[in-house]
Amino acid sequence: MFKRMKLRFRDIRTIGKLIPGADEEAHMMGEEEPGAEHFLLSALKLPDGTAQKVFERVGASPEQFKVAIKKQYSDALNAIGIDTNIMEYDPEPITTSRVLHNAQPSGQAVMKALYALKSHDKDRPLLGAHVVDIVARMEHGVAARAFKAMGLDQNIILSVVKDELDSFQC
Amino acid sequence: MPDFKSLPSPDKPEEALAAVVALRLMADRLEREAVKKAVSQNWTWAQIAEALGVTRQAAHKRHASFISKKKVRKKKDK
Repeated sequence: MFKRMKLRFRDIRTIGKLIPGADEEAHMMGEEEPGAEHFLLSALKLPDGTAQKVFERVGASPEQFKVAIKKQYSDALNAIGIDTNIMEYDPEPITTSRVLHNAQPSGQAVMKALYALKSHDKDRPLLGAHVVDIVARMEHGVAARAFKAMGLDQNIILSVVKDELDSFQC
Repeated sequence: MPDFKSLPSPDKPEEALAAVVALRLMADRLEREAVKKAVSQNWTWAQIAEALGVTRQAAHKRHASFISKKKVRKKKDK
């Protein structure tokens, strides 16, 4: 009982870092609301370090993922004959006075999946690797296309995530 | 203008939908930058809304929180 309460408080702290981190990543990339890809970038900065370990083990880095996000936008625009210079510059980071934040549908899907995951996995704290797991399961969208642009197989990511979660000690 | 003959075939919805997402992002950035410039050039929200083809309330709600008053004032002072 006490252990569960401790885990719950820990999860609240994790969520308290994950959401503002995703907002910040989105704003730095010139987007108003975070999508799944921004939640993943935020998870890579969580202090538990599990998301980062997964990335290291598949030979990836957060910077490479950011480049891949840009690349999949450029590729998509190239496919319809649009010069992609506009996607290559770094947009001015967004500053906002908004108090209540929202997320893109893919970001909302990440949060819903995390909630569902925590309702049946009550004995483990919420970890960055959980976020990687959820995002790597997405078949479509910016994050999935970015993984593809990096040449990363989502099934390999998922097996490394499983390993990392199984070996995690509180 | 892009050559729309090169639009992805409907048989490849993944490509077409990816292009839609990228275009939306490009349009959002362009809109935000243009509104910021318009405000710094003393356009009213009614004028911006008219130019964007939306209501004044919609334009204000979407953009006002992203425009730092200090920043705009500094630019005006220059």
